Amino acid sequence: MADAICRVLRDGALEGEHATSLTINDSIHSPFGPIVFDYIFTQLSSFISSAKSQSRGIVLVKFSSSPSFTVELLKARGFDIATSHEWLRVLDCYSDPLGWKERLKDRGAIKSPLTEASPNVSICKDVRNLNDLFSMVLALGKELVGDGKNRFSVAIDSLSEMIRHTSLSSVACLLSNLRSHAQVSSIFWLLHSDLHDMKAAAAFEYMSSMVANVKPPTTENTDNFSLLEQNYKRGHFHASLKRRNGRVRVMREEFSIDNSLIKFTSVAAGENAVAQTLVPKVQFNLQLSDKEKSDRAKVVLPFEHQETGKSVQIYDGRKPGTHELEVEKSKKHEDSGRGEIIYFRDSDDEMPDSDEDPDDDLDI
Amino acid sequence: MLVPEKMAKYSVEKIDDACMRMMYDRQGYNMASSKVRTSSFSRKVQVAPTSSVPGLKYGPNGTIFLSSGIPDLDKILGGGFHLGSLVMVMEDTEAPHHMLLLRTFMSQGLVHNQPVLYASPSKNPRAFLGTLPATLVSKDDKSLKSDAEQKDLRIAWQYKKYLGENKPPIEERDGKVEYCNDFDLRKPIEKHLIAGNRVECVGLLDCSSLAGIRDSCTKFLSQLPRFDGNITSAGRIAIQSFCAPQCEYYDKEWDMLSFIRSIKSMVRSSNAVAFITFPASLVSPSVSKRLQHLADTLLAVKAIPDEDKELATLLTGYQDMLGLLSIHKVARFNTQVPVILDATTYSMKLQKRRSLVLECLNQAPVDGSSGSSYGTSGGCSSSSNTGTLDF
Repeated sequence: MADAICRVLRDGALEGEHATSLTINDSIHSPFGPIVFDYIFTQLSSFISSAKSQSRGIVLVKFSSSPSFTVELLKARGFDIATSHEWLRVLDCYSDPLGWKERLKDRGAIKSPLTEASPNVSICKDVRNLNDLFSMVLALGKELVGDGKNRFSVAIDSLSEMIRHTSLSSVACLLSNLRSHAQVSSIFWLLHSDLHDMKAAAAFEYMSSMVANVKPPTTENTDNFSLLEQNYKRGHFHASLKRRNGRVRVMREEFSIDNSLIKFTSVAAGENAVAQTLVPKVQFNLQLSDKEKSDRAKVVLPFEHQETGKSVQIYDGRKPGTHELEVEKSKKHEDSGRGEIIYFRDSDDEMPDSDEDPDDDLDI
Repeated sequence: MLVPEKMAKYSVEKIDDACMRMMYDRQGYNMASSKVRTSSFSRKVQVAPTSSVPGLKYGPNGTIFLSSGIPDLDKILGGGFHLGSLVMVMEDTEAPHHMLLLRTFMSQGLVHNQPVLYASPSKNPRAFLGTLPATLVSKDDKSLKSDAEQKDLRIAWQYKKYLGENKPPIEERDGKVEYCNDFDLRKPIEKHLIAGNRVECVGLLDCSSLAGIRDSCTKFLSQLPRFDGNITSAGRIAIQSFCAPQCEYYDKEWDMLSFIRSIKSMVRSSNAVAFITFPASLVSPSVSKRLQHLADTLLAVKAIPDEDKELATLLTGYQDMLGLLSIHKVARFNTQVPVILDATTYSMKLQKRRSLVLECLNQAPVDGSSGSSYGTSGGCSSSSNTGTLDF
């Protein structure tokens, strides 16, 4: 299922659509967001480097750890660092986000160089100016794929750090600009949802076409240490995908961490107490389909004029004996063209009817 | 509260004739069509006059309707959107069904040659116009026929002779301009309808405060003032995703509330309908509630989960459903009588993959072994704080 997400990111967006976007949410109870992020990043990178995806390159914006960490990660997963220049660019917002080291260097306070200059890595010195950040990301992307129809992906290591420096709406604006840019194929980001209020988490979910939540295996907050220990090795992975037909697909998986390697296993479909609360009072279907309507129109009602000129045969509960038939026939000759009720008394000692005929109302 | 200058339902015969004529004339009603009253107090059975302006329909209590673009929705709302009302749609963050409603609303306005103002939080709002649907060219009027048939009760009693007089008048279609068109969602709208400046587009991203959009609305509505004379045209304002997080005013919740309130009052005194969609879960709960209360007509759309076996067994037609539409509030002008709907939630389906229909939710035949009661599960919560997994 996490692989399903990676495939959706790989396939990217259709012409005229916004880029597919993924939010990865985690919390203190299950702090494996970065590991999931790395997993998805390496999966997508393998698709990109082997040219199986819509995007030709990926721009990684790093806030929470140094770019060297990424290099180590890629080496550990078996990527060839030498050729990574062709498909990877890193925007380093970790080393000097507010430009302090730069200013100290200018004054001569520090002498050592910041980091080893790597051809993949550009350093952003002012993360509060999101317009500049946006243009830097675009510039890096265009370096990778050129200006034409080729697309690139963007990965943002941690939105939580970004929101620390600027306002929520400017971050949302940046993300929506990235999503609506024609050359961005897919974009994903990590968010520590318990660091922000509900509005922020909801806003980012609004802007993403997929949401992945990393949750602890048990939802109780216990101080039970054995359970806590378990929480640090396993967890649940919930994802909801917004599909193109307007429906939402919800998936669940379990994962386990082993030496910072994550493994996903599918979980048996549990009880979904979903349908009960979703559906309001439903009614029984009282509407007719077209076939049923035409059938209804054909039904002959017993007491209605059929406007065919024939007298209507009324079934009075008896089998038509010969005597009655003769009587009926003779009567028919007399009143041709009129329907008539022929009433046979049940027994002779029945009281004769009073003046009112209860069937006067019937228009037969 | 509006000053009730419109007439009440029951009238006293002893009102001065001249006075009555004046009241009728104000509304542009045709006096000749009303029936003779036999008692002092009698219900005024007015035959609503047919409107001379295409796209407007006169309703009871002196109200005028604009079509929403979806025939089923017009029927449920009792005729359409009231002229002068504020319609708000609560979006679901998980599905873009509000765009369907927005598109049909705007297309209907363009088909009827009504001026449209469109605002959205995207960089190029004009690009959206290309996605508006075109009217459906239908080969037969099947839907109209079936309606008429259902009204014909076949009874064997003598009263059948008298039934003809009490038949409700079937709406005449003059064949040229219909009040509410069916839209073919797969075909884009004809180019000439969106050409030029017929639709005024405003981007919400540009304005840091809401002053820009407010000025545009004021200017737009000043062309459509409401007088007591005859109405010549009506306009439509469509605002998409009003509280989207990428707008700069997203943090200023009270500013947003006061903007909506000013729109509501401006629209009430002009011949227009304002249609605003907003993602209710993205603003704080109290502001969301306030926005919901500000609306005259409040709708909500909801996404449905895909491949959900429970829902498939619960509802008929689950496969074809796009989403759910809930109607929380229906505008009522000039009357104290509320609308009580049979059902507040409808499923949105595409008929023949082209036009949008709304259907009641119908329960699938219950399997005898399941034993759980569905009817007692309560209303579909329209709460704005549904998480991704809370349904």
